[in-house]
Amino acid sequence: MESAQKLHVVRKAKKITSRTITYIGATVIVVLFIFPLVWMLATSTKTEMQYANDLGSFATFLPNFSDLSTFFDNYASVLTEYDIWKYALNSFGYAAVVVVCNIIVNALAGYVMAKFTFPGKGFVSFLIMFLLVVPVETTIIPLYSIVHNLGISGTVLAVILPAIVSVFNIFLFQQFFTSIPKEYIEAAQLDGANQLKIFRIIMLPLSAPIVATVATFAFIGVWNDYIWPTMVLPSPQPGEWPLYPIQAALTTIQSIEGVTTGEVMASLVVTSIPIFLVYVFAQKYIVAGIGVGGLKL
Amino acid sequence: MVLISMIIIGVFVLLLGAFILKDVLVAKRAKVKTVHYTVRGTVGAYLMLLPALALLCIFVLLPIVYSLGYAFTDYYLLRPDEVQFIGFGNFADIFEDIAARGNVYNAIMNTLKFVVFVVPLQIGMALGLALLVNQTIRGMGVYKVLYFAPVVISLTVTSFLWVRILGGGETGLLNSFLAQLGISPVSFLYDPQGAMYWIIFVSAWQGCGYQMLIFLSGLKGIDKTLYEAAELDGAGKGKQFLAVTLPGLRSVLTFVIVTVFIGACKIMVQPMLMTGDQSFTITLNYLMYIEGYTYRWVGYSSAIALMMTVVIGAITCVQRYLLREDD
Repeated sequence: MESAQKLHVVRKAKKITSRTITYIGATVIVVLFIFPLVWMLATSTKTEMQYANDLGSFATFLPNFSDLSTFFDNYASVLTEYDIWKYALNSFGYAAVVVVCNIIVNALAGYVMAKFTFPGKGFVSFLIMFLLVVPVETTIIPLYSIVHNLGISGTVLAVILPAIVSVFNIFLFQQFFTSIPKEYIEAAQLDGANQLKIFRIIMLPLSAPIVATVATFAFIGVWNDYIWPTMVLPSPQPGEWPLYPIQAALTTIQSIEGVTTGEVMASLVVTSIPIFLVYVFAQKYIVAGIGVGGLKL
Repeated sequence: MVLISMIIIGVFVLLLGAFILKDVLVAKRAKVKTVHYTVRGTVGAYLMLLPALALLCIFVLLPIVYSLGYAFTDYYLLRPDEVQFIGFGNFADIFEDIAARGNVYNAIMNTLKFVVFVVPLQIGMALGLALLVNQTIRGMGVYKVLYFAPVVISLTVTSFLWVRILGGGETGLLNSFLAQLGISPVSFLYDPQGAMYWIIFVSAWQGCGYQMLIFLSGLKGIDKTLYEAAELDGAGKGKQFLAVTLPGLRSVLTFVIVTVFIGACKIMVQPMLMTGDQSFTITLNYLMYIEGYTYRWVGYSSAIALMMTVVIGAITCVQRYLLREDD
C-alpha cells in the first residue's frame, strides 16, 4: 500500500518536471520566434534618438514609455507625410475587385464543369488539368510582354485582370459543386428558373463556406503581392495619386531620404494589420482552406 | 506580336471547335444514346465558361506558349519588330555561362543551396512545433498562435524587417548586441559565405507556421487508440513517433514536402529585397526577372524560365502521382 502511494507521488513528480521542461522549452522557442515582431512594434513607437539610445540593451525590445507624447508620432508621419493610407486604399480597392470577380468567374466555370454535359467538355477539362500542373510564376516575363502589348501596362487593369482567373479555384469549385445533389437543380428547373438564376439563388448560397475560403485566400494574395505590381505600375510621382499597392509602397518609403527607423517600422506594422485581422476573423476559413488545399490535390 | 497572339488564340478556338464537333458526332453515331446535347444547353454552358476561358487564354495559356516560343528567339522587349529565331542559341549561351561559372551557374548553385537547406529546416521546424503544441497541456493554444505569428507578415515586410536586424554597421539589431560583447560589426547580408544561409533561416522562420497548421490537422486525424496500444506493447515516446505518428502523417508529409519544395524552387523576393543583385544570393527565378525585366532580354529570360518550368512541372506531376497512390 505504502509503496503504491510512493509510486504515485514519484509519477506525479515526474509529470510535473516534464511539464515544466515543456513549458520552458516552448517559451524559449516563442522568444526566438517573435522577438523580431516585438522589436518591430517597439521600434515603431520611438524617435531616431530613442532608438539609437536603446540599441544594444534590453530596452530596445520595449516600447517608448518614457515620452508618451511622441508614442504615435511615427504612425502620424507615415500616414500623413508618406501617404500610406492612399496605398492602403489602393490595395483595398484592388483586393475588393479581384475577390468579387475571382469568385464569380471561377465559380461559374466550376459550376459548368461540375453540372453540365456539353460537347468539348473533355477538352476544357484537359486544359484545366494541364494548367493546374504548369507553374505560372515562371511565365511572369511573357505575361509582362503581353500586358505591355495589350496597352494596359501602367494602368490598374494590369494588376486586376491577370489576378481574376485561377485554375486552382475553378478546380476547387468544381469539386465542391459535384457534391451538390442534382435534385436541387431539377427542382429549380421545374419552377422555371434559368441556369444563371439557379447559380445565383441555389449554388452560390450552398457553397458559402468555399466562397469564404476562396475570398480569404484571394484577399491575402492580392494584399501581399509585390513583384507584379512594381513591374506594371509606374512609381509614385509627387502631387499625383499613386497607383502602387501597399507592399510596393514599402520600397518607396524605404528609399525616402531622411526616413527614420521608427517610421520604417511603423509602415511595416500598418501594412501587416489588415492581414492580421484577416487571420483573426477568418481563421475558420483558413483552416478549411488548408484542409482542401492540403489533402484533395 | 498582336498577329501571332491572334493566330494562337485562333488555333485554340479551332481546336475547341474540333473537339465539340467530334463529341457531337460521337454522340449522334452511338447506338445507345447515353448523352443528349442540346444547342441551348451548349450555348449556355459556353457563355458561362466564357469569362474564365477568355482570361485563361490571354493571361495563363498565352504566356506559357510564348515562353516556349520566346526561348528560341533573341526577343528584346523594346524591339518587338526585330525578333529573330535563333534556335538553341539561348540554351547554348546558358550552358556557356554555366561552364564559365557565370551568373546562371551562381543562380543554379544558390537555388540548389536554398532548396537543399530550407526544405528540411522548414519542415523539421514545422513538425517539431506541431508535435509540441499538439500535447494536451494547458496553454498550448497560446503557444500555437505565437508560433504562427510570422506567417501573418508578408515576404516584403519580412525582408525589410530582417534587413534592419541583420544590417551592417552598428545600427543593425544583431550588431548592436555583438558590439556589447566587443565584436566589431559584421555585414551579414553581404558576406558571400553566409548571406544565403541567413536568407534560408529567415524564409524558414516566416513560413514554418503554415506547415505547422497542416501537420496539426494531420495529427488530429491519427487514431488515439494506436498510441495506447503502442504504450501497452512497451513502446517509448521515440518508438511511438516512428511507429504511429510518422506513418499516420505519410500523405500529409508528402504533400508538405512537395509544396515546400516547389515554393523553394521559385524563391525570389527575399534575395531581391534583402541583398539585391549579388552573385552570392542571386537565384534562378530572380535571374530570370533581371534578364527579362531589368535588361529586357525576354528571349534569354524565357529560356531560363522554360528550364525551370520543365523541372517544376515534372516535380508537380510526381506529387500528383504519389498522392494518387494513397487513395
